[in-house]
Amino acid sequence: MAEKTVLIIGGGVSGIQASLDLASRGYKVYLVEKSPSIGGRMAQLDKTFPTLDCSMCILAPKMIDCSHHANVQLLTYSEVKRVKGSRGNFLVTVLRKPRFVDETKCTGCGICADHCPVEVPNEFDEQLGMRKAIYMPFPQAVPRSMTVDKANCIECGLCQKMCQAGAVDLKQEPKEVELNVGAVIVSIGFDLFDPTQIPTYGYGRYRNLITSLELERLLCASGPTGGHLIRPSDGKIPRKIAFIQCVGSRDRRFGTTYCSSICCKYSVKDAVLIREHEPNTMVTIFYIDLRAFGKGFQEFVNRAKSEYGVRFVRSSPGEIMEDPVTKNLAIWYEDTVAGRIESTEFDLVVLCPALVPRADARELAKVLGAEVDSYGFFKAADILTNPVDTTVPGIFACGYCLGPKTGDIPDSIMQGSATAARVAEVLERV
Amino acid sequence: MLSELDFDFMQKVANTPRGKGILLCIQCGRCSSGCPVARLTSEHNPRRLMEMIILGFKKDVLPTQLPWYCLSCFTCLDRCPQGGDVGEVMFAIRNLAVRQGNIPAGVAAQAKSLYETTRVINPIRTALDKRESLGLGRITTDGLEEVQKILKKTGMEKIVKSP
Amino acid sequence: MKYAFFLGCLIPARELSYEVSVRKVLPKLGIELVDMEGANCCAPFSIQSVDHASWMALAARNLCLAEEMGLDVMTLCNDCYESLLMVNTILKRNPTLRNQVNQILSEVGKEYKGKVDVKNLVDVLYGDVGVSKIKSAIKEPIDGLKVGTQPGCHMTKPKRIHFEVLRGFNDLDALVQATGVESVPYERKEMCCGGPLRDINDDLARQVSRQKLMALKNAEVQAVVTVCPFCFLQLDLGQLEVKRHFNEEYNLPVIHFIELLRIGMGMKLEDWEVKAHRIPITGILKERI
Repeated sequence: MAEKTVLIIGGGVSGIQASLDLASRGYKVYLVEKSPSIGGRMAQLDKTFPTLDCSMCILAPKMIDCSHHANVQLLTYSEVKRVKGSRGNFLVTVLRKPRFVDETKCTGCGICADHCPVEVPNEFDEQLGMRKAIYMPFPQAVPRSMTVDKANCIECGLCQKMCQAGAVDLKQEPKEVELNVGAVIVSIGFDLFDPTQIPTYGYGRYRNLITSLELERLLCASGPTGGHLIRPSDGKIPRKIAFIQCVGSRDRRFGTTYCSSICCKYSVKDAVLIREHEPNTMVTIFYIDLRAFGKGFQEFVNRAKSEYGVRFVRSSPGEIMEDPVTKNLAIWYEDTVAGRIESTEFDLVVLCPALVPRADARELAKVLGAEVDSYGFFKAADILTNPVDTTVPGIFACGYCLGPKTGDIPDSIMQGSATAARVAEVLERV
Repeated sequence: MLSELDFDFMQKVANTPRGKGILLCIQCGRCSSGCPVARLTSEHNPRRLMEMIILGFKKDVLPTQLPWYCLSCFTCLDRCPQGGDVGEVMFAIRNLAVRQGNIPAGVAAQAKSLYETTRVINPIRTALDKRESLGLGRITTDGLEEVQKILKKTGMEKIVKSP
Repeated sequence: MKYAFFLGCLIPARELSYEVSVRKVLPKLGIELVDMEGANCCAPFSIQSVDHASWMALAARNLCLAEEMGLDVMTLCNDCYESLLMVNTILKRNPTLRNQVNQILSEVGKEYKGKVDVKNLVDVLYGDVGVSKIKSAIKEPIDGLKVGTQPGCHMTKPKRIHFEVLRGFNDLDALVQATGVESVPYERKEMCCGGPLRDINDDLARQVSRQKLMALKNAEVQAVVTVCPFCFLQLDLGQLEVKRHFNEEYNLPVIHFIELLRIGMGMKLEDWEVKAHRIPITGILKERI
């Protein structure tokens, strides 16, 4: 029955939490995810703040619960195309993109990928590593199935030949399924601001200039370098690393005038991790304000300064220049406390970009009939009285797609539970 | 000394047509890090100048050389994330400095030339002759009367005529 | 296309060759220039520093003259461009300021109505004439020349007035490439030439142009292509001043884009025009001149 069924769009930690909460209350949950696996951003991270626990170790059990729970049906590699109806009775058309692999048969052994001749940049590794045209996005993927990237596949058929389980089906067609649900939850998360919009930084031109998400992939044991922090240009261990805060955030030139709220925290976390791992590597953080609110964060910053020797410079740098031979980067900045304008050379520079709505958020909002705010985040029906309701009755939202007032992982999980409670409340009254 | 600060200075600058950006400055220093002059001399530092205005150091800004190092290249303005409009604020304090009689000789000479001939620099005799030999139009002072009327109305005439 | 031709002060005083080249080339590309009778100084940054209302009124007076002619304005100098463009943009958007300025202009029987646009030479060549037309006007491409272009501060900043990011850079480079010349990237291309501090703080002005020359030399360009007479002055005559004060030789000829175009279109420069370049251009453009 529709009143006991819920659709959740977006398989990050927020959507996963909402799925589990609702499933354990007896609701049937369809969890739709655009990419081949659930997990979202948290799966890309190395360690989480402030306990410095391994991110995947916390997330993976929840992902597995989702795949095993009788009340949760995963619809990965799928997109929501049309929504009709109203609260209590939505008719949703979901497009199941063909992954050319039978999920029920695939064991995830990976022999197909070993033999696939095509190599392309891996989106999960933020284009830093490579994957094959037939691939699993990361080792702990849920569902544990390979997917064929048809755009890059040359249709040589080797994967099909090598597969022992007969799971490869290169003739799969896209399929539309109709779902009848009582409520919808949107938890599609965020994208990163594109730093090429700031030409004076040189992102895209300089090899050793990376974003914080790229750094996470370099630090992560499942990443392209096996967890070894090395410079993209020459594979050497960086000895002088700089973080630059507020790249695009708090910047009226790009419309992202808000503070993205988690970057100060994660950069300090990353700085401490790096210092722990490589005591001979110096880390400097260039910031405008150090926003470390909440329980334990200010203390963590203090420890970063006193115990771990992380250097903090109050300055928003203006430009970065590359040494053509060493590929080291010189940052030009004014140390606003000393009042000195200088340039310092680093061998790796990490940009902390603003977190922005996903490129497809507006389109999804249109499909749902929901409003977005001027930044493109989903608008809450009322931020005080109905903070996780969207402007469409029966459609709710949680996580960063609601905007940066949500903080880090605990906040996203909290909101996931909040929307689950709202959905249950609303559907019980229908 | 605190008693020498003018706590209204920031608002005074903010009330000028080009100065309102001073209210938005968060002192991030991005302006200074791009300034070509600041890289060459520690005398000039856009962020510090904004700081001095915000804190009320009127006596240490308006009568000094500080407003006159700026190239008006607008690099600072382009980089400011908050709309502090440093390059514009520079004009605002220069306007205020001029009213106090602080005006470099080069600027005063250009202003005087503008008032007397409608142009800040004029061609010398040989250039005028060359012009004529090439058949190019004459350089005139046709607009002088109107220009002088305008400058009288705006009050710049007084500035030009004062010693 | 017809434009009200705003010459400014610097060109008639010191760079007659720029004016001559413009008057020779533009009609051949279908652009007609009408002189603005009785125009006054645009009110460059030095005057803007003296008094705000005077700047607005002086610039607006020029815009009124163009309105009376019924033509958009074309400037050559970047300072003139920025001054007129800023005032035009501000007055079009802000009725209060417009009324204030018109009150001053009423003294001389003029009224700013916001009917014209302000363009510079690069706008006109890129937008009205277009790269392909320029390419076909080139009789013989100027091959084998690597240059660094100097678009100048006030053609490209502040970006919110000039609307498009990197505007002016890409336009000018595209125009340069159309003549067969190769435009090479160099460090801090956006940086000022130092011109605005000339006669106000010559020492600093020299140091700034020296930084520019160093960056150009490091990129191993053979010449510098300018569009603004101030940039030309700072980098050409300024090179001799830098040589005198810092004892450094750069040997970087500086040439205006319009002169490059003129040469590419098969017209020869006269002797006095060649000599107007303090750093000789005969080396890089030998037979073409």
